Amino acid sequence: MFLSIPGIFKLALKNYLHDWQSSSGLVLALASILGPMMIVFGIKYGVISGMITNLVEEPRNREITAVYSGRYSEQWFEELGKLPSADFLVPRTRRIAATIDLKSSSAPRILHTELIPTKRRDPLLPKIVIPENSDDWLIVSESAARKLAVNTGDSIDASISRRYRGKLERVHLTLRIAAIAPIHAFERDGAFASVSLLQAVEAYRDGLAVEAFGWEGDQRDIPVNFTGFRLFARSIYDVADLKRWFNEQGIEVSTRFHEISTVQRMNENLTTIYWAIAVIGLVGFSMALGASLWVDIERKRKELSVLRLVGYSTMDITCFPLIQSMLTALLGWVLAVIFFHLVAAIINYLMLSELQEGRQVCYLSIEHYFQSFLLTCGAAFLVTLTAGLRYANIEPAEGLRDR
Amino acid sequence: MSSAVSSSAVKQQDRVSLYNLSDITKTMESGGIRFQLSVPHLNIARGEKIAIIAESGCGKSTLLDMLAFISQPTTSDQFEFYPSALTDPVEVDRYWQNNDQNSISDLRKSHIGYVMQIGGLLPFLTVRENINLSRDVLGLPDDGTAVELAQKLHISSHLKKLPGNLSLGERQRVAICRALAHNPSVVIADEPTASLDPFSADIVLKMFVDLVEELGTTLILASHSWQYVKRFGLRRLSQESRRDSTTRTMFTTIKG
Ligand SMILES: Nc1ncnc2c1ncn2[C@@H]1O[C@H](COP(=O)(O)OP(=O)(O)OP(=O)(O)O)[C@@H](O)[C@H]1O
Ligand SMILES: [Mg+2]
Repeated sequence: MFLSIPGIFKLALKNYLHDWQSSSGLVLALASILGPMMIVFGIKYGVISGMITNLVEEPRNREITAVYSGRYSEQWFEELGKLPSADFLVPRTRRIAATIDLKSSSAPRILHTELIPTKRRDPLLPKIVIPENSDDWLIVSESAARKLAVNTGDSIDASISRRYRGKLERVHLTLRIAAIAPIHAFERDGAFASVSLLQAVEAYRDGLAVEAFGWEGDQRDIPVNFTGFRLFARSIYDVADLKRWFNEQGIEVSTRFHEISTVQRMNENLTTIYWAIAVIGLVGFSMALGASLWVDIERKRKELSVLRLVGYSTMDITCFPLIQSMLTALLGWVLAVIFFHLVAAIINYLMLSELQEGRQVCYLSIEHYFQSFLLTCGAAFLVTLTAGLRYANIEPAEGLRDR
Repeated sequence: MSSAVSSSAVKQQDRVSLYNLSDITKTMESGGIRFQLSVPHLNIARGEKIAIIAESGCGKSTLLDMLAFISQPTTSDQFEFYPSALTDPVEVDRYWQNNDQNSISDLRKSHIGYVMQIGGLLPFLTVRENINLSRDVLGLPDDGTAVELAQKLHISSHLKKLPGNLSLGERQRVAICRALAHNPSVVIADEPTASLDPFSADIVLKMFVDLVEELGTTLILASHSWQYVKRFGLRRLSQESRRDSTTRTMFTTIKG
């Protein structure tokens, strides 16, 4: 009645080791089906998730820019900033006024650079701490830093010129290089600066006095209307939402919405194709595994009959091949994983030059290992159980004498 | 001679039943040829030594398989087995009808020792492990019985070998040891020496029967050979076979 698990386990193990040739054959067969499947899955997963990571990680994909300049009030910015889809938002001043002349002590040239407004947590300047509560700094673009031969922490002379009451005037101010922007943040000569600095530069160019910097001029209030903005959506999936908001306001914006949806669609299509292949592979895998295990049980009929003859229960008899095929599944899976790692390492090595740092073309997540293990054991278990039960249901006398 | 006396004593005094069968049939068919074994009545007492002597193909193995609970009767009126002298019989045919495989295998592992004509050893276990198999399944420890039996059958030097490295006669002796190692009620032997040369066959069978007598185990032996009946004081079951050519059936009746 009771199941003598230790006993039958020992017997199954001894038989498995004694028949090591056929056992290892089964393990190899299993690994040779499972391994390549893991490679295919690994590549699909690696490529797709690489594409998605690129999409998600590239901040420009969630940038929204206005096609034409407009006039936006502070209130408008407040409203836009409150939208859940909006992540980073700074106002822009008139582009034509947003320039500055830079001169460093270590380079002879005066560099005419664009000014780009920024503030804390600028997606284009990740990992850079942007100063708050001060305006006497710049984050220069890589190209500008090179031409000016400056480094983080250096001081630099900045000047702005204007034609005021028929005279050419120029003011100088000393700014600190707070950081050098990463190369893809801004590829031309440029400098990120606080919004207040940009506003001051614009006001000075308009002939106004800017008290904060001690610049003289007309004593009028500095207008707080902006002509543009820098806006980034919270994620690529929020871009469509923001685009709709702008359309409702009659503001024409350009986004990477089309590129995003193309990749998304491609991902969906690839996933569908992959699943079709995976399902076919899975069925083939189960059938191949099933066939080999089935043949194995047929081969062991004699041994199983002897076990029945000495009185091992139906349960024991069913467990005997089950234990062995679980062992095959485990070893085959381990071998397939080793095979996968070797091949994946080779593929990733070969593709190294094509890839961004830290990316892999072929890899699997922990869940995938887990799933493939469960799948293998499940398929092996089902087949062996079916074969075992079928065997357990024939008369013990049969199979005892035939060979 | 002494054994013949004791067995007739069993017969006359309190004859304790082990098997009690009536109206059992087993029908098999393949390739349009039918075979039917009938057992009108069969009563085997504890401690008896039974012989079934018949030609090849007459149904010896068929009967032994039913007695060893590894084959189901096609029809049965009564198929009683007495697990011990003191308890009520179990109706084995009921177990079969209810497909109660667990009760059947329990009965088999506790009470039956089976020696096949050839084979029946597990190739991946040593001789000692093979002998102990019948004890293992009952959860009995290796208490030296295996070694003792092996000594009696002169195979103790082979205990660590695998069956594949033994001669046929030695393998049969291992099978005999296993059939007796768990001290079963009955040992069923289906032509245990048929694969051996006549000289070794005699020696092995002699050792076997001596051992069975020493242990007091019931023996049911199938054989082609008449000579053993007298020599070992066996009770022979009556057997007759006839062929019916119109129905292409072979009928065998065994009773006793
Ligand atoms: N699985 C089966 N299906 C159909 N017929 C069978 C089957 N097994 C045996 N038979 C037939 O039953 C008859 C009795 O077989 P059995 O094995 O009992 O004979 P036996 O007396 O043991 O013969 P032997 O001395 O050769 O071992 C034979 O005629 C055989 O052809
Ligand atoms: Mg036979």
